[in-house]
Amino acid sequence: MHEPITDYDKVVRNCSCSYCGNNCDDITYLIKDNNIVGVRHACRLGASKIINDNDQRLLNPMVRNSEGILEETSWDYALELTAQLLHDSIRPVLYGWGETSVEAIKKGCQIAQATGSVIDNQSTICHGATIQAFQKVGHPVTTLGEVKNRADVIIYIGTNPMDDHPRHLTRYTTFPEGFFRPNGRDDRTLITIDPKYTNTAKVSDEWIQFNPNEDYSLINALRVILSGGELNTNEIAGVDKDTLYKLVETMKNTENGVIFFGLGLTQTLTKQRSVDILIQLVEDLNRYSKWSMLPMRGFFNVNGFNIAMTSETGYPYGVDFARGYPRYMIGETTTIDLLNRREPDFFLAVAADPGIQFPGYSLKHLASIPTVQIDTHWGPYTELSDIVLPSTRVGVETAGTGYRMDSIPIYMKKVIDKPENCHSDEWILTQLYNRIINLKEAG
Amino acid sequence: MKTITIKTKKLTQIPIEFDNILPEELYDKPKDQIDNTIIYHGNKEEVLSTYYDVSVSGIASSPDKCLIHLIGDYSHVKYIGSHLSCGLIIVDSDVDLHVGSEMSGGHIIVNGNAESYAGREMSGGLLEIIGNTKELCGCAYMGQWQGMTGGKIIIYGNAGKQLGESMAGGEIIVKGDCDYLPGIHMSNGYIQIDGDVTQWPAGQMKNGELVINGHIEQTLQGFRKIEAVINPYIHGEYHIGRYNHYIGDESARGKGSVWIKE
Repeated sequence: MHEPITDYDKVVRNCSCSYCGNNCDDITYLIKDNNIVGVRHACRLGASKIINDNDQRLLNPMVRNSEGILEETSWDYALELTAQLLHDSIRPVLYGWGETSVEAIKKGCQIAQATGSVIDNQSTICHGATIQAFQKVGHPVTTLGEVKNRADVIIYIGTNPMDDHPRHLTRYTTFPEGFFRPNGRDDRTLITIDPKYTNTAKVSDEWIQFNPNEDYSLINALRVILSGGELNTNEIAGVDKDTLYKLVETMKNTENGVIFFGLGLTQTLTKQRSVDILIQLVEDLNRYSKWSMLPMRGFFNVNGFNIAMTSETGYPYGVDFARGYPRYMIGETTTIDLLNRREPDFFLAVAADPGIQFPGYSLKHLASIPTVQIDTHWGPYTELSDIVLPSTRVGVETAGTGYRMDSIPIYMKKVIDKPENCHSDEWILTQLYNRIINLKEAG
Repeated sequence: MKTITIKTKKLTQIPIEFDNILPEELYDKPKDQIDNTIIYHGNKEEVLSTYYDVSVSGIASSPDKCLIHLIGDYSHVKYIGSHLSCGLIIVDSDVDLHVGSEMSGGHIIVNGNAESYAGREMSGGLLEIIGNTKELCGCAYMGQWQGMTGGKIIIYGNAGKQLGESMAGGEIIVKGDCDYLPGIHMSNGYIQIDGDVTQWPAGQMKNGELVINGHIEQTLQGFRKIEAVINPYIHGEYHIGRYNHYIGDESARGKGSVWIKE
């Protein structure tokens, strides 16, 4: 057992966590000597990110020297060099943005427009398929507040929030007492549909296991049952026919149902088509009862990028300004595809680590072009970067806006001072933008 | 007949966009003007002669009497024949994304393989791909409900996944095999696949016809077999053999026809 933390001199309440798409905004920080020494209400993932902030922290701008070693330098030199490289490139890519504020994202969009860059975020490797499906067939949307107060059936498909969004069940969906669900957990049915017996499946009332990569045929079968058709085999996608009929009956007799889905659906064989048919299942279910769905977004502001970019350009991610106006085409203007096709000649990652997130083949190309990192901590991408610009943590050292997974904007407070020689993403990008404009004006 | 021959002079890894290289744009222009046609290279505008040698022979009184012959390496050239309305384009190379996208007429022959989005939102004309093509041939733009609405695509090799996605008219013939979900969201038109299909043809199909002459691994529950027909007459011709006729996708309240050869 850990001892309670008593050695602190300041308490800041109602802070917003900067870890996952839950954006829990009921966090209390315990502060001593401008350091966060304790966190209350956060999950183990959020708390570990907030407390262990100085481990591997980037504290000064660095530029790789002729011997291949990162050397500390001045902000002026690092920014000037970055601006020059970006200005001179033909196919620059600005990637990341999932862990920074909307204010910084909007500045990034201005840079992309000024330099004819592609600007893209982590959706390209996670919920891009979801966004494509939303564009195709719509989004039966809800908010987590509505789920808490109304939902009586919760279904998790291809996602394991007990491990990756730990407070999702306790704060929003399953355990809390809601206005129309006064008995909390007892008033709700929890179903997990997943190939694996996850920790979420363990706390569910029912776990339905299906074969990996067969989610499309599974959901198709559910729609057939719902439309009054008969299944012509006893087993679909590894699921017994009777289980499917029972599931459809449960769904039809729900008062207010919500489906949450994750990468177990968006990154299977049929990708956006799996989400597309799931949306249509929800549409069918609304003939019988009230149903809606939400994607389990990962980073705390990955959704904010999609919203900000849609507002600024009309497109949610993978926006290409090469021709001076925004264009968007999956497989063409999305980062992994660009890298696999070996197109980019400059790569800037902001608040993201492609070194962890990208496949090896994509990283090979990154190793051969000028790369810049704007981030708070040393990571695999730092090893690839030619220029490193140290930034500050949104929701801790810098205030800003993030969008929760249900598209609710959350204001994130500043609670402690930043390290002396670090600057916010917004400040760095503003400096970069001004230098690029100067270079353009100078011809 | 005017023939404009464009030969690769210099290769580049960053793709070039060729949407200005169309018979209707170039048929009445002399060589020096064609040399100075704008092409797009990343975020830079270049002139055609930077990367290509151009030669011109003959004259054309109208664009439909103009042939553009592309020789060399066009595997990093996108939007070849995009928005083509008349005339002929022959490419002796593999081609990059969007060949023949949004074309409304004319004829394109690709003597090689084509990347994804070939014939995207095509409404007329003929696109022939002698090799293979990747995914989403004849598809819709992201978020659009209608993909190809007219014209014909013939693929002599294999096709990738989601062939004819949201197809609302026209014809696609694949001589080889096809990956999963051909004809997904199809609302009209005709697809014929002479080879094998991986799985799940015509998911969420509303209408139209899909013929599979090869083997298929798995069909969706939304398709109900209504009859078996010997030598059925489909889309203006007899198909020799015994075919199972399915209607669906019932899950989407669809009434499309899928014919699978036994």
